[in-house]
Amino acid sequence: MEEKIHIDWLTVILYIIIVIFGAMNIYSANSSVENAFLFDFSREYGKQFIWIGISAAIVFLILLTDFKFFNFSSYGIYAIVIGMLMVLLATGSFERGAQAWFRIGSFKLQPSEFAKYATALALAKFLGGFDVKFEGKKNILICFGIIFLPMALTLLQNDTGSALVFASFILVLYREGLSGWWLILGVYLALIFVLTILLPSLYIIGTLLILAVGFIYFFRKQKQLIVLGIVVFAASSFFILSLDFVFAKLLQPHQQQRILVTLNQDVDQYYTKKAKEFSIFKVEKKHVDKKNASKRDYSYNVRQSKISIGAGRWWGNGFNNGTQTKAKLVPEQHTDFIFCTIGEEYGFVGSTAFLLVYLLMIGRIFYLAERQKNIFSRVFGYSTGSIIFFHFFINIGMALGVLPVIGIPLPFMSYGGSSLISFSMLLFTFLKLDANRVNEISRLY
Amino acid sequence: MEKSGRLYVFIGVLVLVGVIFTVRLFFLQIVDTSNYYKAQSYGSNEIVIHPSRGTIVDRNGKLMVFNDAIYDLMVVPEKAKNFDKAYLCRELGIDTAEFNKRLKKASRYNIKEPAVIYKSLSKELYTRMQEILYQFPAFYIETKIDRRYNINGAAHLLGYMGEVSEKQLKEDKYYRPGDIKGISGIEKAYEIYLRGKKGRKVVLVDKFSKQQGSFAGGKFDSLPIPGQNIVSAIDMDLQQFGEELLKNKIGSIVAIEPATGEVLAIVNSPNYDPNLLVGQQRDKNFNSLLLDPRKPLFNRALKSPYPPGSTFKTVQALIGLNEGVLHSYTKYPCRGGYHMGSITVGCHPHASPLELERSIAQSCNAYYCNVYRSIIDNPKYSSVQDGYTQWTKYLNSFSLGMKTGIDLPEESKGIVKQSQYFEKIFGKNWRSSNVISLSIGQGEVGLTPLQMANVSATIANRGFYYTPHVVRSIGDNNFVPAEFKVKHRTMVAPEFFDTVVAGMAKVTQPGGTAWRCSIEGIDICGKTGTAQNPHGDHHSLFIAFAPRDNPKIAICVVVENGGAGAAYAAPIACLMIERYLATDKTQPSKKPDMLKRMLEANLAGAAIYQLPGKDPAPAAGTKDTTAKKKPAPAALPVKKK
Ligand SMILES: [Zn+2]
Repeated sequence: MEEKIHIDWLTVILYIIIVIFGAMNIYSANSSVENAFLFDFSREYGKQFIWIGISAAIVFLILLTDFKFFNFSSYGIYAIVIGMLMVLLATGSFERGAQAWFRIGSFKLQPSEFAKYATALALAKFLGGFDVKFEGKKNILICFGIIFLPMALTLLQNDTGSALVFASFILVLYREGLSGWWLILGVYLALIFVLTILLPSLYIIGTLLILAVGFIYFFRKQKQLIVLGIVVFAASSFFILSLDFVFAKLLQPHQQQRILVTLNQDVDQYYTKKAKEFSIFKVEKKHVDKKNASKRDYSYNVRQSKISIGAGRWWGNGFNNGTQTKAKLVPEQHTDFIFCTIGEEYGFVGSTAFLLVYLLMIGRIFYLAERQKNIFSRVFGYSTGSIIFFHFFINIGMALGVLPVIGIPLPFMSYGGSSLISFSMLLFTFLKLDANRVNEISRLY
Repeated sequence: MEKSGRLYVFIGVLVLVGVIFTVRLFFLQIVDTSNYYKAQSYGSNEIVIHPSRGTIVDRNGKLMVFNDAIYDLMVVPEKAKNFDKAYLCRELGIDTAEFNKRLKKASRYNIKEPAVIYKSLSKELYTRMQEILYQFPAFYIETKIDRRYNINGAAHLLGYMGEVSEKQLKEDKYYRPGDIKGISGIEKAYEIYLRGKKGRKVVLVDKFSKQQGSFAGGKFDSLPIPGQNIVSAIDMDLQQFGEELLKNKIGSIVAIEPATGEVLAIVNSPNYDPNLLVGQQRDKNFNSLLLDPRKPLFNRALKSPYPPGSTFKTVQALIGLNEGVLHSYTKYPCRGGYHMGSITVGCHPHASPLELERSIAQSCNAYYCNVYRSIIDNPKYSSVQDGYTQWTKYLNSFSLGMKTGIDLPEESKGIVKQSQYFEKIFGKNWRSSNVISLSIGQGEVGLTPLQMANVSATIANRGFYYTPHVVRSIGDNNFVPAEFKVKHRTMVAPEFFDTVVAGMAKVTQPGGTAWRCSIEGIDICGKTGTAQNPHGDHHSLFIAFAPRDNPKIAICVVVENGGAGAAYAAPIACLMIERYLATDKTQPSKKPDMLKRMLEANLAGAAIYQLPGKDPAPAAGTKDTTAKKKPAPAALPVKKK
């Protein structure tokens, strides 16, 4: 390699800060009060140092690799990961009810984590292809196909959280030309969905009717908009009325549970309330008891998480001093609920500082992505930023009790080898591509 | 690229999410403090370490009250969910209904606060619980302190401990449900000194209630501070001797050291064994004591006002002397009593006329009717009402009709009526003849044994008293509350006391009403009293102090239905004085017959069944034989069924 590595040091520094801070929090959440040997490899915080070491090695390898390798082998990597997911689905090695693992010695590999990396590569490769644009039915269908294949395979493994992450590629497609209306539609439908659970359906339809009449009256001279108003209203009403059915029939009990808990709804009350409106809920009565059994767990997680964060107040209890953390009251605190430790031990000041650092890193990734000269790098950059952002948004929203409990890790922070390694690969592959962009420029002049 | 502007949409979304999360964090961490307080109770378990309670020793350093550890099974009601109730109940040996009742009671105050669910586990149960409690995270064992007594008596004085009430829980945050505190006697009055300060150990617990070690390196832990030991003014030997003497009688004895106001003994009969009100049996025994018709829980010495009878004559003489209406040479005749219109106050046969000293020694009623009338009918007051009011002020200066301020709870102020009281009965212009019985301590006057003993101490001191107190000093530094050292002077000038003292000295000399009780070698100054009792035999009263100069002990003895003062109260008082002044307590009494007679007398059965009669009490000997045939009431409530 002749070229100097023009790596974006700001991102690297932010990355290092977050990884070290993450390890500190895992240590805090996982060590008991008495034994506190930092490199106790039988404990998670000890193992996390191993993962950090492995990640560092992989990062080093990536930086040494010729940038063309990623473009060249992206479909290959994609194929391998899809193959792994299929093998997993066939053999079925499930743990924690959801995630599927490959066992390599004593280490467990979680292919769904690497599936995001592979999908990002494949999508970048496709869109970066000569004269390919995100236009035309065929291209759009191929893009969605690339995304849906691993998503569906993950979903079939019952790993809803990880599958949902693939939705973050919508953001990438938006950057590549997908109409913003699709995003607005998505937000609109999500809003309607939440309102339908909170309020009786007829209230929402009534409100929408008033809005639609007002809209049509306001644009009464423009026929197209009148039609639009009617169509949107009709479709919304259908959506609302079908939602209850979808919710009751198509979602699994634990998924209904998580959603209801997030919206502060009591499951029993919800069903009695809804049963008055629609007869289909009466049939479900049988399921209610089963749901109740698991209800405590979800509401418990969220409540403990809130208590833990709330305990931090302005300045927090200080490193390794969180009572809630130390008492291990929040389930999965070293993995999915790692933010609780930050909330409790570093308080409002520390938590917001952390959010700032994290969002700064994500923003920097998007900024770097935008400045790419070739589409492959840009799409891969936006994928990197979107995936990390999606994880960040869902994970912290969940810890703060504003989003449903969806078990996905906080990148670079949560305990877990597959997660840390795959996100590090994602980030540094992009940084390698970005560094190459600078080389390209220097070659030009 | 025309889509490059969309970067700003991405950045905008990041900013928006950042703002939403920050606002949410602000709400959770700063605005909503409930999470913070919940955290205090969830993550850590506070283990209370109960301090040892202060011990109580008598004035000679003899241990009276000490501690023993008891083990209570505690529950945190909030966490008591999803456990094998049937299994736990089986191990505890209680049925589920009872268990539920207790759990409900424990939840009543605050479901987060630990409360007792099973008091004083037995040794076996304690061991068993330690083996199985890991399965019941909401339950744990707390070591507490319970009282043990070295003395089978002084129960009213020492007081008992009991579970803290809900009202007290709200008033004093120191206590938690199931804690025990002093409910009466010294235990209550000196609770804040005796209880010490609880220590605490904050341990981290995980969600399985498994301890994860000390919280924050023990930063919030504190060691218990033991309660302060108390030196009581009580003489344990004298106290127990008094209890022996009052056995099978109803009454009380109060003995005070005049020079200090220290209470040497407070004896009540009937009383109870303080050992009954400890541990597991406390509630059961307390209830049977409460229901006992003999009222063993009632502290007569402090709460029961008796007509002082002739003992009151000492006070009347002092007031008369100070008012200038009576002199040591004043003589009044007595012709079988005092006659005034239709009213006659009878008197026993004696030489007449008598001067002041002999009027006390022989206890002439007529003499004091004259004295009392001269006090309240004194022309220097515009009316008898004003004269009476002035008289009550004198009484108040002896702390009669007022609380003495003794350092024990629940003291009665006795009965001294305001002049308005008589207006309601006799009309606005009532006359001294209407209240003539007050001159000999009958009628509308009532003094507690403590007040009478204090009068005796005041006379012994020739005109002042210290607030009676049962505690001598508190703690290792021998702290003495300042109010114990305040000298209270009566309205009677000191020079008038000598005549009355001289009269009281003659009481135990030949010709005096209690001459039979005299004890060789001790100058006992006393005054007998016989209080009329509408419900039965007269009450036998005696106040005394000894020696005449530099008195060491002042005493009041009341024996209900004991007849004349000289029959029971005076002998008991003299024996008490002899016992107290004796340097060698093993030396036999100089009055062995009198001692035997007093110890064997049984008036308790008679007191309840005997009908009221006019006749003075028959000779003690005859009465004893009749009384002894009746079954004595059960002494221990526990044995009652
Ligand atoms: Zn007479």
